Amino acid sequence: MSQNLNPAHNPDELEVAQGTHHDQLEGWVPQLASDAELRDAFEKAFDYRGDVTLTLKSGEKIEGYVFDRRTGKTAAESVVRLIPAGKDEKRAIPYSEIAALAFTGRDTAAGKSWEAWVRKYWEKRQAGEKNIGLEPEKLD
Amino acid sequence: MAVPISQMATVASYVLRQKLAGRKRYPLVLMLEPLFRCNLACAGCGKIQYPAHILKKDLSPEECFRAADECGAPIVSIPGGEPLMHPRIHEIVEGLVARKKYIYLCTNALLLKEKLDLFTPSKYLTFSVHVDGEREHHDFSVCREGGYEIAVDAVKEALRRGFRVTTNTTLFDGADPNSVRRFFDEMMEVGIESMMLSPGYSYDKAPDQKHFLGRARTRRLFRAILSNRKKHWRFNQSPLFLEFLMGKRNYACSAWGMPTFNIFGWQKPCYLLQDGYADSFAELMNDTKWDEYGTESGNPKCANCMVHCGYETSAVNDTFGSLRGFWATVKATMSTEYKDDGALAMLNEPARPVHSYNPLVQIESPQQETSV
Repeated sequence: MSQNLNPAHNPDELEVAQGTHHDQLEGWVPQLASDAELRDAFEKAFDYRGDVTLTLKSGEKIEGYVFDRRTGKTAAESVVRLIPAGKDEKRAIPYSEIAALAFTGRDTAAGKSWEAWVRKYWEKRQAGEKNIGLEPEKLD
Repeated sequence: MAVPISQMATVASYVLRQKLAGRKRYPLVLMLEPLFRCNLACAGCGKIQYPAHILKKDLSPEECFRAADECGAPIVSIPGGEPLMHPRIHEIVEGLVARKKYIYLCTNALLLKEKLDLFTPSKYLTFSVHVDGEREHHDFSVCREGGYEIAVDAVKEALRRGFRVTTNTTLFDGADPNSVRRFFDEMMEVGIESMMLSPGYSYDKAPDQKHFLGRARTRRLFRAILSNRKKHWRFNQSPLFLEFLMGKRNYACSAWGMPTFNIFGWQKPCYLLQDGYADSFAELMNDTKWDEYGTESGNPKCANCMVHCGYETSAVNDTFGSLRGFWATVKATMSTEYKDDGALAMLNEPARPVHSYNPLVQIESPQQETSV
């Protein structure tokens, strides 16, 4: 079954799954000059766990979370789908209508690590704290 | 019995109907995520990393019912996020029970005791309580001291009130098989119906990127845990899936068997991996390029996965797909001991995580990351 796979992906040989290295995308404003740049930027926006801001060619600005992208043969056939911040709707916008993209929101998956949690846990424990826990971030 | 006979019969007749209808792909369990927010922030979880406006969103009961009707699976698993934080979760459960769906409400149980009054015991409703092993292991896994005690206390109360309760345990690199076996004894003593087990999936958004098991390690760990099994342990899983975890059989992924619906729509391809969203269940089934996923595809995001949502349906398919598969299931149900001297010897070896650590005595040198 797995003879033809790259050894790094060979399920019969894997001892431990390699973790993911996160690119620092917060604040990034990609060039959207070519079709390839456009597609690459929206792949990254789809993978990004923060809000982005789209500036449409009409001048409208939309800040929201990109939850999907669908790439077609042309920019007009490709769409990015997002949920605008503070709204209860989904919007689909063709790539061809987009003038600019900026990674404006905080990447909620970045800057957290197991090592940081262990370090904080140990510090709290040494300080005599009880019921130490890692709380989810406040939503307000 | 690991599950009531009525549930087994419902699932068996459903699968046979799909087979007789010649369906190659069919849903067995709907993974319904009515929200993403949670009251825990576990290091191994990659589910809750979203902007606040997304975490505040809930699926309405009507959206949940539409998804369940569209999908048609006999079982609905409700993970999240933490489903008990959904303000209308009891309405969702009631509506699904009325549709005679077997529901597994997956919860970390921090809110279970105070929310129990919202629910009525039913053969259709099971609380699947997330407990990652003995006290210390669980608390560290969920990054909260005291979590184990709260969960077990809630489990006891739910059992006392006549609810069906199972546990759901995720294991990462460094798990101690002896401790897991002791945990099984403990849970059986508490009186839960049965247990579910899974290796952790390597979520690329999870804070912990070092303790995901590769397949070779997963097989050794589960062989050590599940061989020389005690008679009183009950598992709420296909016996062939447990053999798959132990490395006794190989399956291809059937992610289509446990489709996921959440606030974004139908998640392609599965509960674990996000590669876009379909607007309808039919679109999910017809337009997803299923061959591009699963270990055999060579997709690196699937390389280590042995999680039930990809492989349990494969095991169930095997059971009903051939006489050989059916016989293997009967055999695995009747004869659960799995005597294995090699596995016994493994229990005497110290647990050796790939990245050596002991959170209480050895902290790795400070890294760049500072926030948690």
